[in-house]
Amino acid sequence: MNRKANIRQVLLNAPYTLWAAIFVVVPLLFVAYYAFTDSGGNFTLENLSNLSRYANVFKKSLLYSVIATIITLFIAYPFAYFMSKRSANVQRVQMMLVMLPMWMNLLIRTYSWTLILERNGIINNFLELFGIEPLKLIGTPGAVILGMIYNYLPYMILPIYTVLSKIDVSILEAAEDLGCNSFNKFRRVVLPLSISGVVSGIVMVFVPSVSTFYISQKLGSESEWLIGDNIEYLIKSTTDGMNVAAALSLVLMIIILASMAIMNRFADSSDGGMIV
Amino acid sequence: MEKNNKLIELKNIVVEFDGERVIDDMSLYIGDGEFVTLLGCSGCGKTTTLRVIAGFIQPQSGEVFFDSKNINGVPPYKRSVNTIFQRYALFPNYNVYDNIAFGLRVNKVPEKEIEQRVSEMLKLVNLQGFEKRSITKLSGGQQQRVAIARAVINRPKVLLLDEPLAALDLKLRKDMQKELKNIQRQLGITFIYVTHDQEEALSMSDTVVVMHEGKIQQIGKPVDIYNEPKNAFVADFIGESNIIDGVMEDDFKVKLDGKSFECLDKGFAKGEPVDVVIRPEDVDIVPAGQGMLRGVIKSVTFRGVHFEILIDVQDFMWMIQTTDEYKEGQEVDLKIDPDAIHIMKKSKYSGQFGDYSTYSDEMDALSEITEEDEE
Repeated sequence: MNRKANIRQVLLNAPYTLWAAIFVVVPLLFVAYYAFTDSGGNFTLENLSNLSRYANVFKKSLLYSVIATIITLFIAYPFAYFMSKRSANVQRVQMMLVMLPMWMNLLIRTYSWTLILERNGIINNFLELFGIEPLKLIGTPGAVILGMIYNYLPYMILPIYTVLSKIDVSILEAAEDLGCNSFNKFRRVVLPLSISGVVSGIVMVFVPSVSTFYISQKLGSESEWLIGDNIEYLIKSTTDGMNVAAALSLVLMIIILASMAIMNRFADSSDGGMIV
Repeated sequence: MEKNNKLIELKNIVVEFDGERVIDDMSLYIGDGEFVTLLGCSGCGKTTTLRVIAGFIQPQSGEVFFDSKNINGVPPYKRSVNTIFQRYALFPNYNVYDNIAFGLRVNKVPEKEIEQRVSEMLKLVNLQGFEKRSITKLSGGQQQRVAIARAVINRPKVLLLDEPLAALDLKLRKDMQKELKNIQRQLGITFIYVTHDQEEALSMSDTVVVMHEGKIQQIGKPVDIYNEPKNAFVADFIGESNIIDGVMEDDFKVKLDGKSFECLDKGFAKGEPVDVVIRPEDVDIVPAGQGMLRGVIKSVTFRGVHFEILIDVQDFMWMIQTTDEYKEGQEVDLKIDPDAIHIMKKSKYSGQFGDYSTYSDEMDALSEITEEDEE
């Protein structure tokens, strides 16, 4: 009986196990293989040891995505907080508005920002009406970070909103009943109870930001190229770039895993709401 | 220290939700150190009343006084009352100790004193050794105790309890009833207790406030509420009642079912139609010919302590509780002593309650889960 149930369990899981093996584990092994071999297929550590020339790119990627994640958090938290306080109908509409841009492709969304920011773009045309000199908006670090914030904001709002809307009203009333004014209520009850959503949001914004390659190409200048752009360039435009690209990916993955581990430490005390 | 007779006073309170009147011109005062129970079925306005006192709801009109000071508009966190919520509402992100210490920490009490007061509280609610326990790992009864400790540690003048035992099973509920009563005696503070369970209300309270449709139906000591209900609603809601149409013939004399009965009530006009309440346990069944009213036994149900017998008297179904067994179809007489009769003025509830023709066990079990615990 027990054995039979076990076999059934294994059979039921088989398609997913197979899927994960083919599309997750095998590609990862490939990445590792390429990272540790040269173009001839011989074992080498050169790819990794040569990465030091990408140190600045790594720094820049991390810096931009950390800044973007922090700003996103400060926009998303109040938004999610006030959204969770609205009536059910208003919440539904607001949720819709948050999700709407996600129905469009990231490339299109990013490209439309170039129309807004470029030298003859909407903003500069508008400024010209008042006789203001055109500003250099596109091709700046600010534009890249703006692109990250714009594209990944929903991923921060959603988990925070989910956690906030699940907090029982009577728990908030209990806090008031026990002497909390609004500020104390937020600090002692709401914030600690929403940390898990904040952590999920941070991970969901930070990970795609740090590995992005399109946003920085469209909205930044050449000097704003990030790790993702370098990986893309190596694969597409050089003949033996695959190995170095794999080494870059491997290191990037380790950085992401490390930052996620740190974030999860914060979330340890609270449960639920975790995506990873 | 002199006890304040009107620690809390509600004056002409009106609360409306979406145009619907939930509390209808309610006035009530509650004395210091009293155990007051707001009793009624769901939707009667009892929880709303509690929330008005706690400050979570602002009444549309009317005034709330605390220690003779008007506290309309004073936010909950500035009121010296604490609430025990229906589902406890403990903070899941804190352990037992931190939950109980919460109110003191908000008010910046030194940690040293907090430590001492929390351990006092843990002793009071019998949870010593649970300090570090996570809230989610506690049973319902234990969570209940933490909720009590968390509220009481702030030394409120009034503790508001919103159906605190509703989520517990019967046995635990009975134990907690006793324990709550003990805690109230020990602390000597006012308890305002909301429940739909009449047995709980009668056994715990100094004063019971029976509510229905946003109005107070009756205020009184439990014994008075039971023995001297004011109208047909109260008589029916509290315990079982046969409520028969009668006419006052004179002081101490009422006519029902065509017969004159002696009673202990006076002060009604001659010929005034009244509601006559006779409790099922106050009627004796005697052999036909020896009593005042003749009837036929329609059903006999064994209830443990007693038999519940339905008797048809002139198309009105009486309920009688007796320890003697009778057979269905038997013709018997009812004997009713003067002190078994209670006379009420006619009210808008007259005729709605007190006839057991439509009574069935099943309906009863559905509408009132606590029925079977009754004497």
